[in-house]
Formats: sequence, C-alpha cells, structure tokens
Amino acid sequence: MDWQPLWLTFRLATITSLILLAFALPLAYWLAFGKFRGRGIVEAVIGMPLVLPPSVIGFYLLLAFSPSYWFGDFIERIFGLRLVFSFPGLVIASVLYSLPFMVYPIRAGLQSLPASLREASYTLGKSERETFFRILLPNCKPAILTAFVLTFAHTVGEFGVVLMIGGNIPGVTKVASVAIYNEVEALNYSAANQYALVLFAITFVILLIVYSINNNLLRVRQSS
Amino acid sequence: MNFQRISLLFLSLLAGCSSPSEKIVVATAANVQYVMKEIQKEFEKESGKQLQLVTGSSGKLTTQIREGAPFDVFVSADTKYPLEVFKNGGTDAAPKVYALGTLVLWSKNISEKDLNTALLGTEKIRKIAIPNPRTAPYGEAAVQVLKSENLFASVEKKLVYGESIAQTAQYITSGSAEAGFNALSIVLSPEMKGQGHYIIIDSAAYKPIQQSAILLRHSKDSPKKESSKQFYDFLFSGKAQEIFKKYGYK
Repeated sequence: MDWQPLWLTFRLATITSLILLAFALPLAYWLAFGKFRGRGIVEAVIGMPLVLPPSVIGFYLLLAFSPSYWFGDFIERIFGLRLVFSFPGLVIASVLYSLPFMVYPIRAGLQSLPASLREASYTLGKSERETFFRILLPNCKPAILTAFVLTFAHTVGEFGVVLMIGGNIPGVTKVASVAIYNEVEALNYSAANQYALVLFAITFVILLIVYSINNNLLRVRQSS
Repeated sequence: MNFQRISLLFLSLLAGCSSPSEKIVVATAANVQYVMKEIQKEFEKESGKQLQLVTGSSGKLTTQIREGAPFDVFVSADTKYPLEVFKNGGTDAAPKVYALGTLVLWSKNISEKDLNTALLGTEKIRKIAIPNPRTAPYGEAAVQVLKSENLFASVEKKLVYGESIAQTAQYITSGSAEAGFNALSIVLSPEMKGQGHYIIIDSAAYKPIQQSAILLRHSKDSPKKESSKQFYDFLFSGKAQEIFKKYGYK
C-alpha cells in the first residue's frame, strides 16, 4: 500500500489546525466578548462552510486561484506561486473550509466561563491580554482540545474541495480521501478498502483519546 | 393542520418518489454527454419513447452497475469498463464499439498557431491538465502521446489530473492550467464552443480510443426490455453515427 496519501492527509490536517488555532483564538474571543455592530454578519460568514456544499467552495476557489482571474494573477505576480493544484492552495482552502469547526467550540467555551473569573482578574489589576492567556484559556482546555480535534478530523475528511482544486497530484494534492475515490474509480476495491480501513481506525482512535481526556478534565473540575 | 391532512401530505410526497419510471435510463460517460443529448432528442422524436441520461465517469458508473444500479444501457468512454461488466455477468452480449474518440490539445489563451506538443516542455506552460490516465481513456492516450514524443519525463511534474474529462475541461477553460488534453467531442459541444483554442493530435500517436456500449441485462418480463434494445440498436444506426461524426468521433 502507498502510504503517501495518508501521510499527506495528516500533514495537511496538522498544518491547517495549527494555523486555524492561531487565527481562531483572537477571533473567538472577539465574538464572545466584543461589542460591535454587525455581529450577525460576521457570524453568518464564519458559519458558511458548515452549510455550503464543498463543491461550491471548491468551485469558487478554483476560479479565485486561477491565474486568469485577478486574485490568482495577483498572487502569481507577487509571490510567483500558483495556488491551484498546490499544497499551499489546499492549506488555504482547508483553513476556510474548517474555520467554524475551530471558532465555534472555542467561543462557546469562553462564553461558558463565569463572568466573575474575568472580573476578579481585572480587579486584581491584570490586563485583558494577561487575563485571556493566563485565566480564560487554561480554563477552557476541553473546548480548545475539542475544537482542534474537530478541525483536524474535518480536514482529514475533506473531499469535495480537494477534488475541485487539487488536480490529484501524487505527493502534493492527492490526499487519502481522493486516493480512495480513485481506487474505486479504477475498480481497485481492495486498495480502496485498505485506505478506508486505516482512516477509519485512525480517526476512531483520535476521537477516543480526545473524549477520554475531555471526560477526565471535566470530572476533575466537577469533583474539585 | 390536523392529523389527516398531515398524513395526506406525507402520502403524496411518498407517492411522488415511488412512481415507477418507464424511461430508458442510459448511463453515459462524461465525454459523450453532449452528443448524447442530441442523440436523445433524435431517438425520442423517432420512437416516441423517453430517455433519461445519467452522466458520470465510466469507472463510477461501472461500480454502480455492479452494485445493481437500475440502468438499461451503458454508453462508456472505452471498452475496458463495459468488458468488466460483461465478465461479471451484467450483460449477455459483448461490448460493441459505437465510436472512436479523437484527442485534442486545448488552451484558453494560447492561439492555434503557437499551440503544439513541443510547447508543453517550455517554460511558458506551468501546468498541463489531463484526465486521470488510470481511469480515463483520453488520459491514457495523452500519456501515450507525451511518451511517443519523449516529452513525458520532462513534463511529468507539470501534469495535473482531472477526475473526468469534464473536470479536465474545467481546469483548461478556467485557465488554471495553461493547456491540456481533452476530447474533440467536448471542444465541439455547444457548451464549450469558442472557449479557447485547440489542435487535433495525430491519431497515429496513440492507440485508438474505442468507445463501447452495452445493453444491460433485463429480466424476462421487464417492461423496458424491448425499448432498451431499441435504443441500443439506434446507437449504431446511420442517423446516430451521423451525429457522432458531427462531434468529432470517427
């Protein structure tokens, strides 16, 4: 069995999740506690990937990344990089596609913390930044872990978008879900089955670990 | 709304989905989808019977047929897949070639006079789109052409693989790939007419793309047994062959 598509899938999922974590922390904080107009619009935009068919996202990204349109042309002229059919392109697409899976759980986690926690910290003279990193974040570890794993798993399960903009290049854009599809197309069911089994097993183990950790964390908190 | 009304609504929804179709269902390979629309019109006019086209890649359709999809005729992009169905007992008669496909090199922005296979090796071309050669006959033919001109090793890194002939066409017409290989039938279809420029590849450079069709097995008392046979025969009639020719098949 060729392990490259699986390795590529997990590389893509890891990079995507790390980038999204960095973006989502301030974004979730802003959504949870910020006071601003047009909140509904921001929330709707972030939530779009939840409801849009992946083919819609893939189709628009294919046009956006193509050097025949202004965005792709701009990127190609400035960075000499063509996003369509490339790994960086897949990363950008996955970041957009998995955005709500990272932002929503973290926001919910932040909002569920008692307001007194923040207020006590402010009263003790701590800044907003210090309160966020040293009080709020450590207290919503389960939410952050859940968000990270959901994002990771969602990226592993990504298919439609990659199929649209990937171009199926071995080692670059041929991720495991596309490899499975290809093997079925080629009537090579045993290879498809091998990939599918590995994905099945790995995702199950990941989720199992996360829920065990989360249950432990919550139990500790409840008993203390 | 009272209970009766709700159940009535529910029943009518159910009735809507389960009404048996008398239409002849034709599993159609992506590269023949446009020409089949025209053949469909002609056949419906002549026979008074109705067709329903289901489009997909030949590999996917074959899998679906093996799993019992309710198709009556399978119009494939090659002979390999229908042969697979035949070997598995999905049909009584061996596949029959209804048309020979023609390969073209196609580009959105490069004009006909500059377009040739040697250009693919130059820096002007960063990406070349071809249908997946493992599953699509036109992709296989494209690889044969590149190999016969000793270009394959130098352009392999530029190749991007479309899932089907249609997706490859999308890569080319959106300009995501500077050039690519495709079927003449797609380039000549009304939907794609005027989109970019193309040259026809010398047919000596690749093995003939033999596109075959099969009549799928029906039970003895199936109401569609006769009409499906009628459509299958129509594919090989002079009238249908004339339409295939118009779309660049041989």
